[in-house]
Amino acid sequence: MSFSERMLKIDRRIIFVVIGLCTLLPLLYPVGLPIKISPEVRSVYDYMESLPPHSVFLLSIDFDPASKPELHPQAVALLRHAFRKDLRVVAMTLWVSGTGMAEQLVTQMAQEAGKENGKDYVFLGWSPGGSAVIINMGQDLYTAFPSDYGGRATKGLPVLDGVYSLKDVTYAVSLGAGVPGVEAWYVFGKDKYKFELAGGCTGVMAPGLYPLLRSGQINGLIGGLRGAAEYESLIGQKGRAVAGMDAQSATHLAIIVLVVICNLFYFSLRRQAKLQSQRSS
Amino acid sequence: MDAGVLGAWMATGLTLFIFSFLYKDNPLFKLAEHLYVGVSVGYAIVKTFDSVILHLIVKPIFEQGEFSLLIPVAIGLLMLTRYVPNAAWMSRYAFAFIVGVGSGLAIPRTISSFILKQIEDTVRPLLSLAGQDGVAFSVNLLNPASNLNTIIILIGVSSVLFYFFFSIEHQGPGKVVARTGVFFLMTAFGAAFGYTVMARMSLLIGRLTDMIEFSDASYGRPTLWLTVLTIAALALLTRRRENEPSTSDR
Repeated sequence: MSFSERMLKIDRRIIFVVIGLCTLLPLLYPVGLPIKISPEVRSVYDYMESLPPHSVFLLSIDFDPASKPELHPQAVALLRHAFRKDLRVVAMTLWVSGTGMAEQLVTQMAQEAGKENGKDYVFLGWSPGGSAVIINMGQDLYTAFPSDYGGRATKGLPVLDGVYSLKDVTYAVSLGAGVPGVEAWYVFGKDKYKFELAGGCTGVMAPGLYPLLRSGQINGLIGGLRGAAEYESLIGQKGRAVAGMDAQSATHLAIIVLVVICNLFYFSLRRQAKLQSQRSS
Repeated sequence: MDAGVLGAWMATGLTLFIFSFLYKDNPLFKLAEHLYVGVSVGYAIVKTFDSVILHLIVKPIFEQGEFSLLIPVAIGLLMLTRYVPNAAWMSRYAFAFIVGVGSGLAIPRTISSFILKQIEDTVRPLLSLAGQDGVAFSVNLLNPASNLNTIIILIGVSSVLFYFFFSIEHQGPGKVVARTGVFFLMTAFGAAFGYTVMARMSLLIGRLTDMIEFSDASYGRPTLWLTVLTIAALALLTRRRENEPSTSDR
């Protein structure tokens, strides 16, 4: 068996170890590679910056723990920015399996910023219906969520003063890991009730959402861990996403090198086979 | 034991059990997999019962006297007639209602948001070619709104649509257009694959970040202890399997 053949039949577990080490080592010994800010993430940041204090910021945490590594840092960065700007934060989720995680996240960020539940922010929790919840909120927020996650009546909460439906929301961001997510918020929310909307999503979903971004249907997009790292850099509070970007770059480099090497061996084998057939004929 | 510390040990152990599949399928992986599915479904059932049955149905009906809620409850209960063969036909009314409402809500909005808006966005930028000072053409690949990119998008959309048009044979000039469509499709698939790799690596980074955090002495170093235990268990399982008589020996 030639060297190329042996390399192409290499035990896949060796590749797993290489990828594992390329991820682990930069996490243990960070290099601090520069992070370039993309226009789609900057536009979310710029819009948040342009909002006056006490504007209503709706954050829909539409993911569950399975997508936590990518979307949790995005939510942390957005909440930190919103609380720093003194926006009224209305958080909710369309995913029942993410309710506990979302509540913990919002509470933790609010405590960090010294904000008061009910006055500066509210976590509405989850309501059944998926996309229908968005339509319901567009008609009357209080019928969709008669009480918040803690069981308090939403009517009369200072944070919701003057907010009756989605039309009264100044800016909404959906952090979605699937359906219902960003697309549902556009189709049943923004397109119908006319409020400004941005999206955050997992890396897998990002290419599918770029058409919405280019057509102006959403005003910004935070894609995957990279998007979260960009947002962390913009608000000047580097967290888990920035820490993970060295590992991300290292694994990408490793995969590129593996793809190139495998192609080289593949073409070298093809050349060998061609030469052998020429000799035999 | 503190709940945080217990959680760290559980998270680390289950992560290592799931990763053990990279070596080979084994009982540790199966245990973690079944626990994950069981806990997810259990959590969803409990949450749904609390949020929907108790807070949106039972409490409003019995405490606030909102008897109009009995109508959606009755429609929902009709679905359960599927389990009674003689009464299964009644479930069709519930399904008809749900499909009707779902289609009515989704079809117009989806056509408007995804088909019409996207067609409009593909064609409209061409109008920007003709400005007040006559026809102008901007060339900047980095600016999505530049005229060059507009033309590229238009060519891409048209050629990809043509590639999926099978009513005529892709011959002659048609073949060139279809090939161009394939080129655009491959570029799109490449970009999607790149993002997918990034997403999967992000998940690995997330798990490893947690495991690095849990290697701290304040948690009792679960990462180190459980890694050793998992490797030992895998070695033991492999050895036991090797020593087992094969079916042909029996």
